[in-house]
Amino acid sequence: MTTDQLSRTFSALADPTRRAILARLSAGEATVNELAEPFTMSLPAVSRHLKVLEQAGLITRGRTRQWRPCRLEAKPLEDVADWVATYRRFWDGGFDRLEDHLRSLTGDA
Amino acid sequence: MPDLEITRVFDDPRELVFAAWTHPDHLASWFGPHGFTCAAVTLDPRPGGRWRACIRSPEGEDHWMHGVYREVSAPERLVFTFAWEAQELETLVTIGFAGLDGKTEMTFRQTGFPSAAERDGHHEGWTSSFDDLTGSIRGKDDR
Repeated sequence: MTTDQLSRTFSALADPTRRAILARLSAGEATVNELAEPFTMSLPAVSRHLKVLEQAGLITRGRTRQWRPCRLEAKPLEDVADWVATYRRFWDGGFDRLEDHLRSLTGDA
Repeated sequence: MPDLEITRVFDDPRELVFAAWTHPDHLASWFGPHGFTCAAVTLDPRPGGRWRACIRSPEGEDHWMHGVYREVSAPERLVFTFAWEAQELETLVTIGFAGLDGKTEMTFRQTGFPSAAERDGHHEGWTSSFDDLTGSIRGKDDR
Protein backbone atom coordinates (compact mmCIF):
# COMPACT_ATOMS: atom_id res chain seq x y z
CA MET A 1 0.00 0.00 0.00
CA THR A 2 1.29 3.47 -0.81
CA THR A 3 1.53 6.16 1.85
CA ASP A 4 -0.98 8.12 -0.23
CA GLN A 5 -3.55 5.42 0.41
CA LEU A 6 -2.55 5.25 4.05
CA SER A 7 -3.02 9.03 4.30
CA ARG A 8 -6.46 8.64 2.78
CA THR A 9 -7.33 5.91 5.29
CA PHE A 10 -6.17 8.02 8.22
CA SER A 11 -8.00 11.03 6.89
CA ALA A 12 -11.21 8.99 6.64
CA LEU A 13 -10.68 7.63 10.15
CA ALA A 14 -10.08 11.08 11.62
CA ASP A 15 -13.80 11.70 12.06
CA PRO A 16 -15.53 10.17 15.11
CA THR A 17 -18.82 9.67 13.25
CA ARG A 18 -17.06 7.67 10.55
CA ARG A 19 -15.32 5.57 13.18
CA ALA A 20 -18.66 4.89 14.83
CA ILE A 21 -20.11 3.87 11.46
CA LEU A 22 -17.24 1.41 10.95
CA ALA A 23 -17.73 0.03 14.44
CA ARG A 24 -21.41 -0.55 13.62
CA LEU A 25 -20.53 -2.24 10.32
CA SER A 26 -18.20 -4.64 12.11
CA ALA A 27 -21.38 -6.27 13.44
CA GLY A 28 -22.61 -6.86 9.88
CA GLU A 29 -23.76 -4.96 6.80
CA ALA A 30 -26.34 -2.20 7.16
CA THR A 31 -28.35 0.25 5.08
CA VAL A 32 -27.92 4.01 5.16
CA ASN A 33 -31.14 4.30 7.19
CA GLU A 34 -29.91 1.83 9.77
CA LEU A 35 -26.57 3.59 9.99
CA ALA A 36 -28.22 6.99 10.43
CA GLU A 37 -30.43 5.84 13.32
CA PRO A 38 -28.02 6.42 16.23
CA PHE A 39 -26.93 9.82 14.95
CA THR A 40 -28.72 13.12 15.12
CA MET A 41 -27.84 13.96 11.56
CA SER A 42 -29.62 13.96 8.24
CA LEU A 43 -29.46 11.13 5.73
CA PRO A 44 -27.51 13.30 3.27
CA ALA A 45 -24.92 14.00 5.99
CA VAL A 46 -24.57 10.28 6.69
CA SER A 47 -24.33 9.63 2.95
CA ARG A 48 -21.45 12.09 2.70
CA HIS A 49 -19.59 10.20 5.42
CA LEU A 50 -20.27 6.93 3.62
CA LYS A 51 -18.89 8.37 0.42
CA VAL A 52 -15.63 9.31 2.17
CA LEU A 53 -15.39 5.81 3.64
CA GLU A 54 -16.13 4.24 0.26
CA GLN A 55 -13.51 6.36 -1.52
CA ALA A 56 -10.95 5.35 1.11
CA GLY A 57 -11.81 1.71 0.44
CA LEU A 58 -12.99 1.19 4.01
CA ILE A 59 -16.48 0.13 2.94
CA THR A 60 -18.19 -1.18 -0.17
CA ARG A 61 -21.85 -0.71 -1.17
CA GLY A 62 -24.15 -3.45 -2.46
CA ARG A 63 -25.52 -3.22 -5.98
CA THR A 64 -29.22 -3.75 -5.20
CA ARG A 65 -30.98 -0.61 -6.36
CA GLN A 66 -33.22 0.31 -3.43
CA TRP A 67 -31.21 -1.41 -0.75
CA ARG A 68 -27.52 -0.70 -1.05
CA PRO A 69 -26.09 -2.27 2.08
CA CYS A 70 -22.72 -1.03 3.32
CA ARG A 71 -20.08 -3.57 4.16
CA LEU A 72 -16.83 -3.15 6.06
CA GLU A 73 -13.63 -3.84 4.12
CA ALA A 74 -10.85 -5.11 6.38
CA LYS A 75 -7.78 -4.43 4.22
CA PRO A 76 -7.25 -0.70 4.95
CA LEU A 77 -7.66 -1.31 8.68
CA GLU A 78 -5.13 -4.12 8.45
CA ASP A 79 -2.74 -1.68 6.81
CA VAL A 80 -3.25 0.75 9.69
CA ALA A 81 -2.53 -2.08 12.14
CA ASP A 82 0.65 -2.90 10.16
CA TRP A 83 1.65 0.76 10.28
CA VAL A 84 1.29 0.74 14.07
CA ALA A 85 3.28 -2.50 14.38
CA THR A 86 6.09 -1.13 12.20
CA TYR A 87 6.39 2.04 14.23
CA ARG A 88 6.26 0.06 17.46
CA ARG A 89 9.35 -1.87 16.38
CA PHE A 90 11.02 1.38 15.31
CA TRP A 91 10.48 3.16 18.63
CA ASP A 92 10.93 0.14 20.92
CA GLY A 93 14.40 -0.34 19.44
CA GLY A 94 15.19 3.33 19.91
CA PHE A 95 13.97 3.32 23.51
CA ASP A 96 16.20 0.31 24.28
CA ARG A 97 19.09 2.38 22.99
CA LEU A 98 17.90 5.40 24.99
CA GLU A 99 17.99 3.26 28.13
CA ASP A 100 21.57 2.19 27.32
CA HIS A 101 22.50 5.80 26.66
CA LEU A 102 21.10 7.00 30.02
CA ARG A 103 22.93 4.16 31.81
CA SER A 104 26.21 5.13 30.15
CA LEU A 105 25.74 8.69 31.43
CA THR A 106 25.00 7.74 35.02
CA GLY A 107 27.64 4.99 35.09
CA ASP A 108 25.46 2.18 36.50
CA ALA A 109 25.64 0.06 33.36
CA MET B 1 -5.05 1.14 18.26
CA PRO B 2 -4.86 2.64 15.78
CA ASP B 3 -2.78 5.07 17.77
CA LEU B 4 0.57 3.73 18.83
CA GLU B 5 1.22 3.98 22.55
CA ILE B 6 4.36 2.88 24.38
CA THR B 7 5.07 3.42 28.07
CA ARG B 8 8.57 3.02 29.49
CA VAL B 9 10.09 3.66 32.89
CA PHE B 10 13.67 4.94 33.02
CA ASP B 11 15.85 5.01 36.16
CA ASP B 12 16.67 8.68 35.70
CA PRO B 13 14.98 11.97 36.54
CA ARG B 14 12.65 13.35 33.91
CA GLU B 15 14.84 16.41 33.32
CA LEU B 16 17.48 14.06 31.90
CA VAL B 17 15.03 11.95 29.90
CA PHE B 18 13.46 15.10 28.47
CA ALA B 19 16.93 16.40 27.54
CA ALA B 20 17.61 13.12 25.75
CA TRP B 21 14.90 14.20 23.28
CA THR B 22 15.73 17.89 23.01
CA HIS B 23 19.54 18.07 22.97
CA PRO B 24 21.05 17.05 19.63
CA ASP B 25 24.08 15.25 21.13
CA HIS B 26 21.82 13.18 23.38
CA LEU B 27 19.34 12.42 20.62
CA ALA B 28 22.05 11.40 18.15
CA SER B 29 23.36 8.78 20.55
CA TRP B 30 20.14 6.75 20.68
CA PHE B 31 17.75 7.80 17.90
CA GLY B 32 16.82 4.98 15.55
CA PRO B 33 16.14 1.27 15.94
CA HIS B 34 18.66 -1.46 16.83
CA GLY B 35 21.57 -1.62 14.41
CA PHE B 36 21.00 1.90 13.09
CA THR B 37 23.07 5.00 13.78
CA CYS B 38 21.86 8.56 13.82
CA ALA B 39 23.94 10.19 11.09
CA ALA B 40 22.65 13.75 11.45
CA VAL B 41 20.38 15.72 13.71
CA THR B 42 19.43 19.37 13.91
CA LEU B 43 16.72 20.68 16.16
CA ASP B 44 15.17 23.87 17.40
CA PRO B 45 13.02 22.78 20.35
CA ARG B 46 10.49 25.55 20.76
CA PRO B 47 6.91 25.79 19.46
CA GLY B 48 7.10 26.25 15.68
CA GLY B 49 10.77 25.25 15.60
CA ARG B 50 11.87 22.55 13.17
CA TRP B 51 13.80 19.33 13.62
CA ARG B 52 15.45 17.09 11.08
CA ALA B 53 17.35 13.85 11.48
CA CYS B 54 18.89 11.07 9.45
CA ILE B 55 19.25 7.46 10.54
CA ARG B 56 21.61 5.07 8.76
CA SER B 57 20.78 1.38 8.41
CA PRO B 58 23.39 -1.37 8.96
CA GLU B 59 23.58 -1.57 5.14
CA GLY B 60 24.45 2.14 4.96
CA GLU B 61 21.10 3.33 3.69
CA ASP B 62 20.08 6.80 4.89
CA HIS B 63 16.53 7.66 5.96
CA TRP B 64 15.71 11.31 6.58
CA MET B 65 12.81 12.51 8.68
CA HIS B 66 11.67 15.89 9.91
CA GLY B 67 8.94 17.77 11.70
CA VAL B 68 7.86 20.81 13.66
CA TYR B 69 7.63 21.20 17.44
CA ARG B 70 4.13 21.97 18.65
CA GLU B 71 4.70 22.02 22.39
CA VAL B 72 7.93 22.03 24.40
CA SER B 73 7.17 22.05 28.13
CA ALA B 74 10.29 20.88 29.95
CA PRO B 75 10.37 18.47 31.65
CA GLU B 76 6.74 17.34 31.30
CA ARG B 77 5.55 17.25 27.76
CA LEU B 78 6.86 17.30 24.22
CA VAL B 79 4.71 17.38 21.07
CA PHE B 80 6.02 17.37 17.51
CA THR B 81 5.07 16.32 14.00
CA PHE B 82 6.98 13.48 12.38
CA ALA B 83 7.28 12.65 8.69
CA TRP B 84 9.65 10.55 6.61
CA GLU B 85 10.98 12.66 3.79
CA ALA B 86 10.35 9.82 1.33
CA GLN B 87 6.64 9.72 2.28
CA GLU B 88 3.73 12.08 2.44
CA LEU B 89 2.12 10.94 5.65
CA GLU B 90 2.57 13.33 8.55
CA THR B 91 2.09 11.95 12.04
CA LEU B 92 1.91 13.54 15.48
CA VAL B 93 4.07 12.44 18.39
CA THR B 94 3.09 13.33 21.97
CA ILE B 95 5.37 12.38 24.84
CA GLY B 96 4.56 12.77 28.53
CA PHE B 97 7.27 12.58 31.21
CA ALA B 98 6.03 11.80 34.71
CA GLY B 99 8.34 11.79 37.72
CA LEU B 100 8.32 8.67 39.92
CA ASP B 101 10.66 9.11 42.92
CA GLY B 102 13.60 10.12 40.78
CA LYS B 103 12.59 7.79 37.95
CA THR B 104 10.67 8.74 34.84
CA GLU B 105 7.59 7.20 33.32
CA MET B 106 7.61 8.16 29.67
CA THR B 107 4.35 7.82 27.77
CA PHE B 108 4.85 7.95 24.04
CA ARG B 109 2.01 8.30 21.55
CA GLN B 110 1.97 8.54 17.78
CA THR B 111 -1.07 9.07 15.65
CA GLY B 112 -1.57 9.13 11.89
CA PHE B 113 -4.08 11.95 11.93
CA PRO B 114 -2.46 14.94 13.59
CA SER B 115 -5.17 17.50 12.90
CA ALA B 116 -7.93 15.34 14.36
CA ALA B 117 -5.82 14.41 17.37
CA GLU B 118 -5.29 18.07 18.15
CA ARG B 119 -8.90 18.95 17.58
CA ASP B 120 -10.04 16.13 19.84
CA GLY B 121 -7.70 17.23 22.62
CA HIS B 122 -5.05 14.62 21.80
CA HIS B 123 -6.68 11.25 21.36
CA GLU B 124 -9.96 11.63 23.21
CA GLY B 125 -11.95 11.05 20.06
CA TRP B 126 -11.62 7.31 19.93
CA THR B 127 -14.51 5.08 20.80
CA SER B 128 -13.55 1.91 22.59
CA SER B 129 -15.70 -0.09 20.18
CA PHE B 130 -13.59 1.15 17.30
CA ASP B 131 -10.39 0.28 19.14
CA ASP B 132 -11.73 -3.23 19.64
CA LEU B 133 -12.62 -3.36 15.98
CA THR B 134 -9.13 -2.67 14.64
CA GLY B 135 -7.67 -5.06 17.19
CA SER B 136 -10.01 -7.88 16.26
CA ILE B 137 -9.61 -7.32 12.53
CA ARG B 138 -5.90 -7.74 12.90
CA GLY B 139 -6.35 -10.63 15.29
CA LYS B 140 -2.86 -10.24 16.62
CA ASP B 141 -1.28 -8.80 19.70
CA ASP B 142 1.16 -6.12 18.66
CA ARG B 143 2.44 -5.39 22.11
